[in-house]
Amino acid sequence: MPALPEPDARMESAVPSPQMTGTAPPRAASEAPREAAAFETLLSAVVDAAYGYGFRLAHNRGDAEDLVQEAAFLAFRGFGSFEPGSNFKAWFFKILTNCYRSKYRRERRRPTVDLDDTPDLYLYARSGEVGFPTDGPDPAAALLDKLGTERVVAALDQLPDEYRIVSTLYFMQDFSYEEIACALECPVGTVRSRLHRGRKILQKALWQVAEEAGVVHPARSAEL
Amino acid sequence: MSEHSDRMTCEEAFRRLDDFIDRQLNPEEMRLVQEHLAVCAKCTREFTFETSVINGVREKLSRIEAPPNLLARIASSLTGQSPTPPDDGG
Repeated sequence: MPALPEPDARMESAVPSPQMTGTAPPRAASEAPREAAAFETLLSAVVDAAYGYGFRLAHNRGDAEDLVQEAAFLAFRGFGSFEPGSNFKAWFFKILTNCYRSKYRRERRRPTVDLDDTPDLYLYARSGEVGFPTDGPDPAAALLDKLGTERVVAALDQLPDEYRIVSTLYFMQDFSYEEIACALECPVGTVRSRLHRGRKILQKALWQVAEEAGVVHPARSAEL
Repeated sequence: MSEHSDRMTCEEAFRRLDDFIDRQLNPEEMRLVQEHLAVCAKCTREFTFETSVINGVREKLSRIEAPPNLLARIASSLTGQSPTPPDDGG
């Protein structure tokens, strides 16, 4: 069995403090097996989502597994500060996000998408210019289906982490604004504003990826 | 005409686009946006397009399953660990 990675000393701060999560009374050591069972039950319900989130953040399976294992280790150690009955998924994703930030802090990516102010309805306007549908029950499906998952992921990856992480939680996990705020330890208003700008940048990135891949040809109408 | 006095303009409705799509508006604001969309084809087209983008990206980023043995490895590695270690003074 592969050994659990030793948690990075910097990651000790990845476990939310009792002040963040509500203080629970300390458990007796004899309760450990029961606590472990309770923890594993809660973890089993979120492990796929956590792995998917880790995979989108870290970009490969090995790193995603390491992130989830490290987060699980730290979460279990800090399980005493988890308030039973509260939102385990948001609590665990907070630890997972902190693990990612700690581990990849030095690997800041340089966004390739132009971050200058993006006009509203960017994809709508550009799609209309080249003849992609802007009307009908699901008008963006034509463009997104031509792009496919890999290019949509590539577009999301072009966002700076500040917007990429919040957008990943939003698009992948079906989290409410409140849950995202909990996972990122920021006010709901910050989530709202980052999501708003993140969506706009993502639209520009999607179009850029579509142009680079030859999915759209700015000079002439797309053939559908 | 007083029953029309609370109708939204296109600009007012558009300002609420994200919150409308994410159901973050209060019921009264949701109603006002819906009323505006019912009579404004241009805004309806724009809102539908934005919703389509969001749903489409969600679909592409659909969930990824963890390796089947990941949970078992985690569980195994936690054996013997204590969830709340005694206060070690820092």
